[in-house]
Amino acid sequence: MARVKNFYYMELEQFSGMNYKGSKRFTQWDIPTANATGFGAAADDYMERGIDLNEQLIRNKPATFFMRVSGDAMIGAGIFHGDVVIVDRSVKAVNGKVIIALLNGEMLIRRFEKNFSRIRLVPETAKLSPIDIDLSGSEFSIWGVVTYVIHSL
Amino acid sequence: MTAIVDCNSFYCSCERLFRPDLHDKPVVVLSNNDGCIISRSDEARKLGVGMAIPYFQARQLIEKHQIAVFSSNYHLYGDMSRRVMDTLRVLAGEEADKEEGLSPAVEVYSVDEAFMDLHSIPPGDLALHAKHIKDTVEQWTGISVSIGVAPTKTLAKLANIIAKKNKKASGCVKVLATEEEQRVALQETRVDQLWGVGRSYAAKLINWGITSAWELRNMPEEWAHTNMGGVVGVRLIRELRGQPAIVMEEELVNKKMIATTRMFGRPVTALHELKEAVATYISRAAEKLRRQASAAKTVSVFLVTRDQDHLTDFKRGATIHNYVTLPKATSLTNELIKSAIELVEHLYENGKVYKKAGVMLSGLVPDDSIQGNLFVPASENQHRFLMNTIDNINFSMRDDSVKFGSSGMNKDWKMRQELRSGRYSTRWEDLISVR
Repeated sequence: MARVKNFYYMELEQFSGMNYKGSKRFTQWDIPTANATGFGAAADDYMERGIDLNEQLIRNKPATFFMRVSGDAMIGAGIFHGDVVIVDRSVKAVNGKVIIALLNGEMLIRRFEKNFSRIRLVPETAKLSPIDIDLSGSEFSIWGVVTYVIHSL
Repeated sequence: MTAIVDCNSFYCSCERLFRPDLHDKPVVVLSNNDGCIISRSDEARKLGVGMAIPYFQARQLIEKHQIAVFSSNYHLYGDMSRRVMDTLRVLAGEEADKEEGLSPAVEVYSVDEAFMDLHSIPPGDLALHAKHIKDTVEQWTGISVSIGVAPTKTLAKLANIIAKKNKKASGCVKVLATEEEQRVALQETRVDQLWGVGRSYAAKLINWGITSAWELRNMPEEWAHTNMGGVVGVRLIRELRGQPAIVMEEELVNKKMIATTRMFGRPVTALHELKEAVATYISRAAEKLRRQASAAKTVSVFLVTRDQDHLTDFKRGATIHNYVTLPKATSLTNELIKSAIELVEHLYENGKVYKKAGVMLSGLVPDDSIQGNLFVPASENQHRFLMNTIDNINFSMRDDSVKFGSSGMNKDWKMRQELRSGRYSTRWEDLISVR
């Protein structure tokens, strides 16, 4: 008999929503979807996974690497000393992209400038000057393209 | 058609990716405990550095030519391997295949090799397709690979060897699609270079006057059945003739036994140090055991003593081992440690010098304690909960934040890895820096 009564109250609460008398009448076992917070019942149907940064920041997982920036070369682009940059090797380096360049055995973060006659690595600070790449005289290649920067405020 | 994709000097390539200054310089990677050379770049090979030779033997050569030396960095290699395999899966369209219920087109064969099923590629496009795979893996992961393509796995392996022999000429790709191409390749290959022909069989074959792979291919199947280990020999002959006899295998998801063995960083003589080492290995093995939701019925312990007559480190000493069968299969670290420690106490001899120890968990069965089991005492379910908690903490915090006291706090005996590079691709604190 008590069981039926409980059921009746639950129904009433669910359908009208007006006769709410506090949750004391029910234990959590009476209402399968409610959790201990007392909030579950209504929200359960709308449960999501939450925000996953990887989804937004990583486009191609096997080709994505993280690097730590050291120095002020790219301050003008909002990339500061100590920031983490996300580098995607599968993105094509086109004119204007920020890239990780390999120049004579060194890894540099610079803006890539390429037109018909020349390739330049351009820093975003007045303290450094652009580097003109002489393809015959230096070892140059592109390691990857910077897609995001993680900066702590 | 089947392709084998094989990374070029894989460990060295991983190191170089984050060390552009070593781009065309000789590089070698050492085995566990800095014992032997296990990977060398083409430049190091050309300087005469042998494969699998002890580090100290090559030391003079290494110093003379200023060859860069690295201890093995398995965190880095493991991550890079996953990247290479993932790239191949993307290229093979594996996700789409899975949805259609097709068998996977990529079979991971080892840390740096995978077979790929290319049956859907028209024969005329094979070379171009292989080149595309090679270029994409290299672009995405920075690891260069060689690809051999042929109708069977054995011939694909052979094609790969040919592709690697002269990388410049082949462009690291070799296709053996026609019978004529296969004949030429088999004729210029010695039997001992074939995949699946061990040293003892190679010696036998050469003794019988069968020196080239082509001669072996032309032997009758019945002959192979009698002289080359029955079905295995027949399969080899068929594979050499271009008839697939070794099929693409699905990945072995659950291991049938789990072993952890390591060389000590220095000779160990004390019982308590041996116990610590074995407890640590058990913890590692038990973690793997739980990851595949198994429980073990048998615990084995190995101890390798140093040969008293030889001062050299690599001569094989005597292995002593013992095992115990548990009354009930378990995945609980504490129970496994307890049995293993008893075995160590039993095996230990005062005065002996130990250089290596190992543990093995076998007799694996599905772990029924995972879901709280109604028919076992409640305490066991609590233990299981504790194990889960430990595994979760160690996974998120890394490096065994929580462990059993018996594994010791400062591990003097731990592996020597003096020249290990950073874990560039898996650790925040080890990220490579760019200027």
